[in-house]
Amino acid sequence: MINITSLEKYYRTEEVETVALNKLSLNVKEGEFLAIMGPSGCGKSTLLNILGLLDDPDGGSYVFNGTEVAKYNERKRADLRKRNIGFVFQSFNLIDELTVFENVELPLIYTGIKAPERKKRVEEVLDKMQIMHRRNHYPQQLSGGQQQRVAVARAVVNNPKLILADEPTGNLDSSNGNDVMQLLTDLNEQGTTIIMVTHSEHDAKYSHRIVRMLDGQTVTENILV
Amino acid sequence: MLKNYFKIAFRNLWKHKGFSAINIMGLASGLACFILIALYVADELSYDKYNEKANRIYRIDADIVFGGNNLHLAVSPDPMGAMLKKDYPQVEEYVRFYASSGNKLIKKGNEYITETNVAHADSTLFNVFTLPAVAGDTKTALNEPNTVVVTESTAKKYFGTTDVIGKNIETNDHTKTLYKITAVIKDIPKASHFNFDFIFSMDNVDYQWGTYLSNNFQTYIVLKPGTNYKEFEKNFDQIINKYILAEAKQFMQINSMDDFRKAGNKLDYSLMPLTDIHLKSDRYPELGVNGNIQNVYIFSVIALFVLLLACVNFMNLSTARSSGRAKEIGIRKVMGSEKNALVRQFLSESILTTIISTLIAFGLVALCISWFNQVSGKELSMVSLLQLKYLPFLILLPVIVGLLAGIYPAFFLSSFNPITVLKGKVNAGFRKSTLRNVLVVCQFTISIVLIIGTIVVYRQLNYIQSKRLGFNKDQVLIINGTNALGNNAIPFKEEIKKMAGVKSGTFAGFIPISGYARNDNSFSKEAVMDSKNSLNMQVWAIDYDYLSTMGMEIKTGRNFSKEFGTDSNATIINETAAKLLGFDNPIGKKLYTFFQNAGTQKLIYREIIGVVKDFHFESMKQTIGPLSFRLEDSRWATAFKISTTNIKDLIRNVESKWKAMAPGMPFSYQFMDEGFDNMYKVEQRTGKLGLSLAIIAILIACLGLFGLATYMAEQRTKEIGVRKVLGATITNVVSMLSKDFLKLVIISAVFAFPLAWWAMDKWLQDFAFRINIGWWVFIVAGVIALLIALITVSFQAIKAALANPVKSLRTE
Repeated sequence: MINITSLEKYYRTEEVETVALNKLSLNVKEGEFLAIMGPSGCGKSTLLNILGLLDDPDGGSYVFNGTEVAKYNERKRADLRKRNIGFVFQSFNLIDELTVFENVELPLIYTGIKAPERKKRVEEVLDKMQIMHRRNHYPQQLSGGQQQRVAVARAVVNNPKLILADEPTGNLDSSNGNDVMQLLTDLNEQGTTIIMVTHSEHDAKYSHRIVRMLDGQTVTENILV
Repeated sequence: MLKNYFKIAFRNLWKHKGFSAINIMGLASGLACFILIALYVADELSYDKYNEKANRIYRIDADIVFGGNNLHLAVSPDPMGAMLKKDYPQVEEYVRFYASSGNKLIKKGNEYITETNVAHADSTLFNVFTLPAVAGDTKTALNEPNTVVVTESTAKKYFGTTDVIGKNIETNDHTKTLYKITAVIKDIPKASHFNFDFIFSMDNVDYQWGTYLSNNFQTYIVLKPGTNYKEFEKNFDQIINKYILAEAKQFMQINSMDDFRKAGNKLDYSLMPLTDIHLKSDRYPELGVNGNIQNVYIFSVIALFVLLLACVNFMNLSTARSSGRAKEIGIRKVMGSEKNALVRQFLSESILTTIISTLIAFGLVALCISWFNQVSGKELSMVSLLQLKYLPFLILLPVIVGLLAGIYPAFFLSSFNPITVLKGKVNAGFRKSTLRNVLVVCQFTISIVLIIGTIVVYRQLNYIQSKRLGFNKDQVLIINGTNALGNNAIPFKEEIKKMAGVKSGTFAGFIPISGYARNDNSFSKEAVMDSKNSLNMQVWAIDYDYLSTMGMEIKTGRNFSKEFGTDSNATIINETAAKLLGFDNPIGKKLYTFFQNAGTQKLIYREIIGVVKDFHFESMKQTIGPLSFRLEDSRWATAFKISTTNIKDLIRNVESKWKAMAPGMPFSYQFMDEGFDNMYKVEQRTGKLGLSLAIIAILIACLGLFGLATYMAEQRTKEIGVRKVLGATITNVVSMLSKDFLKLVIISAVFAFPLAWWAMDKWLQDFAFRINIGWWVFIVAGVIALLIALITVSFQAIKAALANPVKSLRTE
């Protein structure tokens, strides 16, 4: 599903040039559950951003579902992203001014779904995440675990092919963390490809394959399943 | 989608109540100011447009340079109107006003009331101006002598009803005259350059008709459609040659207009469009108090500036708050929002804010409108806003302002990179923004210019008040209309002089403040007068006590005195006249002039017995012209020099004497210094308005500054915590936080100074007597601005500096 070849990314300030990704290559099959691990500064987040079409590489190729997207402009990336990719972040990143319902509704609004259909889908997914009873509350009124469940609901409401998770359990206690990991596993079993960045060996065990990175490159690969 | 935007917008506003309040109030103040000034300007521009033929009506003006005088007249000779209609087919109609006889005493019940809004007019008045009738037939109303047309309110005031056709109005000038009311018209609209309550028949004017050498009538002509008035003006050259030159030759040596002009003289007639009169005519004598197109421009510019200030504020505050919205923007972008959708969202928010501000602005306008009317001398009302033609403007205003104010922040905010924002710990910091600084500088530049302007206007007013006038206006009581005493005039004057606190008294129809008589004539050193050797100057009739009561000083020679029987043929001239006549020693020299007596003009001479020190008898906008005195009682008014603290008792005593000696006549008095102040009403108004605008501009700028300072303090909490831990004192922190803002104010001052100097110098050029704009004015204005900025910023800076570093460093 995803073919990355010789990906390059630099960050330049006035005097300093940092190489974030150093001719990295990676393939991800459809339906795979991939974990990416590595120390701070190895380029995990940069890779995830490029995978999520949030950023563009300075060199190399990125083929997503058969299409070369490395040179896409912002508009095209946004379009592709909203139809195909869902995000789960470490710090949840819900919009504080919107209710739970409205937060989950957001991706549907941007893909142009009409209100009645939106209502149906959002309620369906809130129900699945068992957070329906809090649908009119604001994020500040929820616990961490509940917020992350909302974030996951938001990530899947559009039925994306790929979910990108950046340290999804980083701000949660172990019990809630396990709940979230179980959610992701269920989703994967239903066919969604998941790429997860994590520091936690424990969480990595939920995946099919672990890719370890160092200094902008992949160095080792463990296959668990 | 729009609903979604507005929902978010509301919640955002509500979440940051304090900030939103500052933003909205700032915008509302600017909008309110803009709306008030827009009302004012619209009113000023609407004068005289109630007339159907407004675009074809022109007034005949004259510009005359002759004999040392430079006259800009709004009047023309009595036969000119009729002649134009007869000789030129382009002239459809004409009408004249005669208002030079001043106020009239009109009988109401048993008493006489002084009516000031009176004039005589030709019967063609209603063919020229649109003055609809409420009763009677205006077509024929003024055909006959002893007829009068009154306004609706006047009819009600005198008779309690508008059913007054056929009733009589009695006036009392020297003699009692009856006028029959032949029509009642609707009150003349306020937006008119003339406003009369009584219009009398022209036939009743006592005048030497048929002369082209005197200009005493406001004459208006209506040109046929399609006539170019500038082309028509060219006809005046031949008119002058045919009529004026011919008549002038009888009195002085003039061979041709070319010779006349070559000698440095000028005689030009021109047409002033009716719709230009209110704002552009500053001639003599005007039928009402005119406005000034300059003021309209100035206020329009200021209104736009204030609105711009408010928008700039909005932009500044919105972008400063940007890091608070950064997370939301990043998330939306990750969720797939296109940049344009975000732009639309932020524009909706700014339009929503603007709509709220506009509603509040209307509330503010309603609150302030009566105060504004007082200061500007107008009668504006909110109702005038509700006219259909204003509706699109009212709806578009918030939308346009919202777009204007919101477009920069919208694009700025929607261009955020989602990646940098989603790392979890968002703190874009208080980014130094060049654009934001430019905006603050603009605001303070405008404010400083307004401060300087206000200081200069008040200083000029003060200067006018305190300048040596050449006469003493303080403690002079003027009793008006003393000619009504008839034979009791002298006894009245003597009785009042005997009262405690009264030092002297004089008959004073001619007084050096506005509202009193003026008269001019031509004089020459030689018995034969021509354009080269004659001097046109004021001739004032005074009595023996005039100079002492007015506090005027004799420079050389002497005052009129009872000891010299020949003084009735004598004259006293002022210094300017002496200089213009070219006398080294004027005493004993003769001045020739034409004197009107029993219907004929006779050449006489007067001997100069004294020179009086120059005194101001026009407003300070004019230089002092030549003037002469002759000995004769002018009893239209009597002036008394008083020195008592018990004014009320004195007035009461004078009034009871009046009632005894002039029963039924209106008792009217004025203190000379009050009359003097009234001559500068326009400037006083300008000063007040300028002050108000300066305050509003500064308030808005400060609101913006306060908001920015608040935000900055918030963002730099961590930095301040660290600095305090490392040993910074409160003073260190406050000065660090304030420094950047104060630098901006200083830069603003640098821009403001030359701008303000140029503007005020132009304004002062209108005055022949003016202050110098001292350098200290600029320093004071700069210091004021700096202090205000400092106070605004330091409030937040001190609060931030006092915060406990432990708390601020913990939340990382």
